[in-house]
Parts: sequence; C-alpha cells; structure tokens
Amino acid sequence: MPAIVARNLTKRYGRALAVDGASFEIGRGELVGFLGPNGAGKTTTLRMLAGLIRPTAGEGRVLDQRVPGPALRRVGTMIEEPSFYPYMTGRDNLRYAARLHGGVKAQRIDEVLDFVKLDRASDKRVKAYSQGMRQRLGLARSLLWSPDVLLLDEPTNGLDPVGIAEIRENLRAVAAQGVTVLVSSHILAEIEKLVDRILAIDHGRLVYDGSLDALVRRLDADAITYHLRATEGPGLLTALRELGLEPVAEGDLGARVTLPPADADALVARLVGAGVTVFEARRQVDDLEGAYLRLVRGDGRPS
Amino acid sequence: MTAFWNVVAAEAFKLVRRRRVYVLAGLWWLLLPSLVLIVGRVLVSNLAASFANEAGGVDVLVQTLASPFGIARIGVVGPAYVSPTFYVIVVAALAAVLIGEERSHKMWKTVLVAQPSRPAVLAGKLVAAMLAVGVLLGGALVSGVAFGAIGTLFLPTTFAGEWGGLLRTYLLQWAFSGALVAFAFLMLYLARNVAVGMILVFFLPGLLEALYSIYAAVVGFQPINRFNVFLQGIRLRQLLEDLPTYFFSANVYAPARAPVRELTAAFTEAAGADGLDIGGLIGANITLERAVWVVAGYALLCLGLLAWRFVRADVD
Repeated sequence: MPAIVARNLTKRYGRALAVDGASFEIGRGELVGFLGPNGAGKTTTLRMLAGLIRPTAGEGRVLDQRVPGPALRRVGTMIEEPSFYPYMTGRDNLRYAARLHGGVKAQRIDEVLDFVKLDRASDKRVKAYSQGMRQRLGLARSLLWSPDVLLLDEPTNGLDPVGIAEIRENLRAVAAQGVTVLVSSHILAEIEKLVDRILAIDHGRLVYDGSLDALVRRLDADAITYHLRATEGPGLLTALRELGLEPVAEGDLGARVTLPPADADALVARLVGAGVTVFEARRQVDDLEGAYLRLVRGDGRPS
Repeated sequence: MTAFWNVVAAEAFKLVRRRRVYVLAGLWWLLLPSLVLIVGRVLVSNLAASFANEAGGVDVLVQTLASPFGIARIGVVGPAYVSPTFYVIVVAALAAVLIGEERSHKMWKTVLVAQPSRPAVLAGKLVAAMLAVGVLLGGALVSGVAFGAIGTLFLPTTFAGEWGGLLRTYLLQWAFSGALVAFAFLMLYLARNVAVGMILVFFLPGLLEALYSIYAAVVGFQPINRFNVFLQGIRLRQLLEDLPTYFFSANVYAPARAPVRELTAAFTEAAGADGLDIGGLIGANITLERAVWVVAGYALLCLGLLAWRFVRADVD
C-alpha cells in the first residue's frame, strides 16, 4: 500500500492553473525529492496533500485515506518557511503543537529537540532564533508526533552549507526509521545527495518521475565529469590514463575526468582494481543540473 | 471530542503566555477597584463631616460605590460604560491572540496540520476565549470583594448587598459576551491583518448605528418619500423605528447596564413626561428578556458566517 497517492491532482486559482493533473505514488519508507523551479506547483501540491487547500479536481490520499481527513494526524509537515509564535520559546512552541495534536508525551519534546541539536537554545524566545535554528525547530515540530509521512517544502531554504548538511543527515536518519519523506527543492544539488527518486514538476505538470541516474541517461547527457581524490595523485592519473581516459590534474592528490554515463558507475571499482585508493569521488553537479534544466525547459521532456 | 479538548488546552496554554492578557487583568482587577477605593476615601475625607452628610447621604453613597458589593458591582457595570467599552477591548484582544495572529504569524498551516479537524479548532478557540472572558470577569468579582474588604478597614462600608442578583449579572454578562466573541472572531478572521480586524471590532457596530441615526435624524420616517411609503406599505416602518432597540451594542451589554436601570428610571420620572430619557441615552432601557433573543441572533449569525468561511477556506 503506497503512503502517498496523488490522482489527477489539480488546483486552479481563477484562470491560473497551479497544478495540472499530477499523478504519482510514493511507497512506505521512500525518500523522494520533489523538484521544480519556483512557481512550478510544488508548494501547492504539498499543501493539497497536507489538507491545507482543497483540490479543484482529483484527489490526494495519505496512508490509504483521502485528505483532508483523519490520516493527517499521522503526517508531519514543514511548508515553506516554518512559522512560530515569536513571543514563545522554542520549547513552548513545541508544547503548544503537542497539546494541539494530543497524545504527545513531554519526553518526546526533549527527544526531538535533542535530535535537531536545539536542546540548549530551546528556552530562548523564537524571535531571537536564526534562520537555521528556525528551520531545525520546524523539523523538530514536524517530527513531534512520530509521523508516518513527512511533507517538507524546501527545508534547507536559507541555510548555510553546514545547516544544509545537518538537515540532510536528519532526514536520512528519519527515513531510516521507515518514515516516508517527500522533500521539495528548486535546487537539484541540495537533494541529489539525499534522495534516489525524484518527481519533477514544471508549470504545474509532472514532467519526470524516476531515479536521478535514469534522468541523466534519459536526457542523453553526453558525458559525466567526476572529481576524484586518491592517496597518490600521480598513481591516480596513471591509472585513469590506462583506462583510456584523459584526466586533468587537480592539486597533488586529485584529478578531473570526463567519461560516458555508461562507464561512470564502474569507474571507482576499476580504479580500486588497478590498485588506487580513492577517498573521494564526486560527480560534477553541473551535469545533473544541466540535465534537469533541459528537462524543465522542455528540450528533453520524457514522452 | 478529544480533538476539541486538545484545542482548548493548547489555546489556554497560549493565552497564559501572552503578556497582554495580564495587562487586561491588571487594569480590571487592580486599577479599577483601586480607583474606586480612592474615590471613596476622597468622599469620606472631604464630605463625611460636612453638611452634605447630615442625613447620611455620603455614607450611603460610599457604601453604594466602595463597599465590597459596590466595587464588585462596578467591576461588571463599569466596563460597559466607556467607549469603546472595556468588554470589547478585552474580547478583541483575546480574539487577536486566538485567531487574528494565526494569519499574521502564518500559523494556520501549522495549527491545521497539528489538528486537522477544523470544526474542533474553531470550537476550541471559541471556548478558550469564553473561558478567558469568564476568568477575567470572575477575577473582577473576586478582586472587587477583596478590595472592598480592605476598604471596610478605613471606610464606613459593610458587606451588605444583593449578592445573588450580582452573581446573576456576572453570569449573564459572561453569557452575553459570547456574541461579542463571535463577532470579534468573525472580524479578525475576515480582516487581512490584526489591526484592521481590531478597528472593525471596536468601531463597526458603532459606525453602522451612527449611520442609522443620521438617516433617522435627516430623513426621518415620515411618509414623505417613496421609500417610506413603500416601507409603510409592507409594514416595516415600525420595525425601522424600533431598530435602535435591536442594535448590537445596545443589547450585548444589557446585563451589565441593568443595575443602572432603576437609577435612570428614577431620574426620568423626576424629570416628568417632557424630560430627557436618560436610560434610553445610556442604553439601560433594553429589557434582558428581549436582549437574550437579539444577542442570540447576532451570535448565531456571526458563528454561522465564521464556520462557513473557516471550514472550507484554503490556507495561504
């Protein structure tokens, strides 16, 4: 049984079509990225799934129940920038939400604050919180009643790289507990390290549903660039040349190499087989970003 | 029912963390009775030994105003006689915390996910507001008695008074405040920001009533124009002439203003048939029995509109 189902989900504001017949299913425990440029319809779709707005047509189902409905009690959300009562402390904001939902033990508040590393700042008023602290408190609140489904709308918005990495780690930990996570972003690089599957939306229409790798292949990316670092730079360069590639040195220990997508998966294994100890292999984001841009611009829209 | 009580508990939790609630309580529970005690003390100091008190008139006045019963009575009557009334200020402030700020703090998307049952959310917030009004009114009663008790130490006052009637007045005014709460919730929910909502709560009823008064004064209800001929024809003229007795602000404070009725009746009688109707001017002529129905009508109208908008609205 899927955790989230959208069937022909449509939202119209007057003559403007915000979401145009989106249909997808997300299985239990999946961590899925919801990708699209600003104004593509991501937030509207998430709001419909969270029961905050009613679809003009179609339906959203969460945990096999139509939304809005009782199943939303098992959903945690962070839609756009998280909002709080600024005159309350972070802990009191969580206490308020816990009372509103019901059935949340006081100990759970400490657990979620500890999980997002806000336990020390929890007794400060929220108006004194930084953007990053607010984002983390928002995530803590969405986890308060141990939801089965998490709907997160750009949870890394406005965060510095450290904050983004922390949120990413938190989400991985949540997903590892079997929670279904649908996380939206307009920046591919932010979620490509987090999710295996993406839903891409543009102008209200779902334009892609599948894995990141398949997206790159499907859009016929000519080549993928990898940035590699090994314990011995010269050995790395030599091994790459022996594999028929044309590496460019990057510092003492690194190299950049461009290769066909079909060969990319086996690259590290082949280097290890050649006796090279690779401690970093990073795909150049531009390739994926380029593929994504071609997708949303319509050049390579899947049939 | 669990969802409803969860909302009541959460909103009560929020209210006790809002400083303005304590400011309102301070004004009502401390400032008002303190001022009355000071007035009582000034009256006794300046007039008790003068000719004005030869027949004991000053003692009676001080007992009426500054005794435990007197101060407790002023605690319910006084707030209905300022403009905007203290009742409407209290209710608007509570409604701003409970429903107005949800929009300004963008909290609806949080509230309605934590508690997806919208009827429970609306009912819980309304009940939390009524509980808060009840606590503030109850506090005014208790503080009035406490300050009055202190006053008996240095003023010629006793605990005498018709306490049963006073308790009934407090209870009735609390119940009547339900219409005020419903109206304030509706205005603050419909208004795009809290300040506009509060201005509507403070002044919209008065504005509509003033417009009517201007119309009545300028045009009158004489059958000199086609409009009034038409109204006469469908027997609505009498209703229009009686309209002021259906005004929101005239009825919603009827219990609190009732204790003043006897006093104004005596003044009006003394002034004779051609004298000024003081009771009518200060809204003390509305009978409680009819005010119950009028206020219930306003409450149902506001609640109906509010529920209709709230339950089906999209959250920004």
